[in-house]
Amino acid sequence: MKRILVAVLLLGLLLSACSPAAPAEKPVEEYVMATVVKLTGVGWFDRMEEGVADFDAAYDYVEAFQQGPSQADAALQVQVLEDLLAQGVDSLCVIPFQPEAVEPVLQRAREEGVVVISHEASNQQNIDFDIEAFDNAAYGRHLMDHLAEMMGEEGEYVVFVGSLTSTTHNEWIDAAIAHQLENYPNMMMVGDKNESYDDAQTAYERGRELLVAFPDLKGMQGSSANDVVGFGQAVEEAGLQDEIAVVGTSLASMSGALVETGAVDLISFWDPAMAGYACNEIALLVLQGETPADGLSLDLPGYESLTLIGKVFYGQAWVDVTLDNLADWDF
Amino acid sequence: MFRQLFRKHEFFIAIILIVISLTIGLINPRFFSLANVFSLLRRATIMGIFSMGVLIVLISGGIDVSFTGIAIFSMYTTVSILVARDFQGSIFLPFIISGLLGLILGLINGVIIGVFKLPTLIVTLGTLSLYRGAMLFFVGSNYYNQAELPVAIKEFARASVFTVETSSGKTGLHPTFFILAFLGFIVWYVLKYTMLGRSFYAMGGDRESAERAGFNILRTQLIIYGFAGLLSGIGGMIVGALFRQANPFSIVGTELDIIAAAVLGGASIAGGRGSVIGTLLGVVLITIAKNSLVLLGIPSEWQRVIVGFFILLGTAIPMVQSLVVQRRLAMQRDEIPVTS
Repeated sequence: MKRILVAVLLLGLLLSACSPAAPAEKPVEEYVMATVVKLTGVGWFDRMEEGVADFDAAYDYVEAFQQGPSQADAALQVQVLEDLLAQGVDSLCVIPFQPEAVEPVLQRAREEGVVVISHEASNQQNIDFDIEAFDNAAYGRHLMDHLAEMMGEEGEYVVFVGSLTSTTHNEWIDAAIAHQLENYPNMMMVGDKNESYDDAQTAYERGRELLVAFPDLKGMQGSSANDVVGFGQAVEEAGLQDEIAVVGTSLASMSGALVETGAVDLISFWDPAMAGYACNEIALLVLQGETPADGLSLDLPGYESLTLIGKVFYGQAWVDVTLDNLADWDF
Repeated sequence: MFRQLFRKHEFFIAIILIVISLTIGLINPRFFSLANVFSLLRRATIMGIFSMGVLIVLISGGIDVSFTGIAIFSMYTTVSILVARDFQGSIFLPFIISGLLGLILGLINGVIIGVFKLPTLIVTLGTLSLYRGAMLFFVGSNYYNQAELPVAIKEFARASVFTVETSSGKTGLHPTFFILAFLGFIVWYVLKYTMLGRSFYAMGGDRESAERAGFNILRTQLIIYGFAGLLSGIGGMIVGALFRQANPFSIVGTELDIIAAAVLGGASIAGGRGSVIGTLLGVVLITIAKNSLVLLGIPSEWQRVIVGFFILLGTAIPMVQSLVVQRRLAMQRDEIPVTS
């Protein structure tokens, strides 16, 4: 009901033909904005909830909250989305567990006039927009730049992906390797892309083997959050903290101890709180009748100048953590 | 002398091991570097400890797939308790708690198998899922990272017996190797020199006959599964300590590699056969097969294919050899005139 009122009101304003005396009893609309995450109770999405809470506090005419299934399960997430639709929300910001699984319910949501923004799902169809913290290739190049700087732009390095089938990891690494070949001719990748199966134990074992196989190794770039954890342990045990530069995606809570000993030199990630905030910010713009376009600027670090490709907004919202700013991050 | 050796399964495994090692060493001489040998031993240690439990279960004619479930349950629960109580003591307590938890879960397996006389594969498939599920539901599913672990566990991870400086950094032998050596010795001694060990073989050879010969089957099964559980608890704690993390989703999924190692080493799935030396050789063979592919420069896509190939090769050659021996025995039997 409220949604229809809003739609009518917006249409009225746009056409500037409506009488100003329309629904006088409700001058300021309250938007109900839901964020639906893959899983509740895990550090990553707890952090995102902080961002959603900040968003809620920033606009007094917005009621923003976060929900999600207690188990990582596509069917449960669809259930949560259906319940929210039944309750009547104005916008959904969704981080799908399985993008295809939520398409039907998102389609229904949009038919009912709900604004839908997705995150971490750049191929989602039934959405107004998708927001990604960064473009995968740019992120891969960014990590390679740091690795090259720490290696003095020369020497052998190895790369890790969670699995040869994980798309994002391979996009990061492929872009990084191409960037190295073009800009850092004295560096050389040795071996193949190593698979860690997203497991620190496997990354550790591969790491020990690589240290034996390539005694002149100077650097490593990891992709899954566990890659630098396992590889860093291998480096630390071999006492090579100062000889080998280790950079990669991870979280301060996972690799903080290794950053402290110098075994891991730089970790990078995107802040889920910022992503949650940005996702709702875009939803609000759409709700208010604006059409967000390329170059959109949100008042958030890393989201100041968004690139729009298709329906997907890309930021440059990576966060680099080294020994210097490790203490600022607790998730 | 040579004929006797030829009939020994262990002899063949050892030959294959030497051939494979020499081949890898020729392609990449760093295979024989101290750093590589120590890191292979470290990996083989974990598999080795689990394989001892698997071995005695196989000898007794059973098959246990729940040991990884027991290991993760014991390790993760122990770490959860210690973290909650802000444990500051020595490394021995975590091993004792984890071992005891493993013993209890193993005894539950033993009771179900012994009292209800159910097939061991079905029971342990059930308890594998039950133990892991119970842990995720009742204990938790959060990952404990290095910073949260008790200090003693972190220090234990870095422990080293002989530390050597090499061209590829420091390397050393981890003390857990001696835990394996000790446990391996006990299992070897029990199997070879005690009535208890005889009862394992007797049960696996022919359960009915063993029972008629006066072996208490229920008691023997409780001992077997209890001991396998105890080893799993200790093995689980070693995994947690060596990798400095309590990840509730680790360990489970590696059971087939370990069973394969024991079978490769000559333990029979049908029961009644198997030895400590053979099993440990099998463990080393699988460890080398899985962990030398980077040294050989094999592309990532091919690594799993090669591991499968190594396992097939390792099992096929001794099988062919035992067929040859059996055929020769059968021929000899036919030649002997039947009397009486």
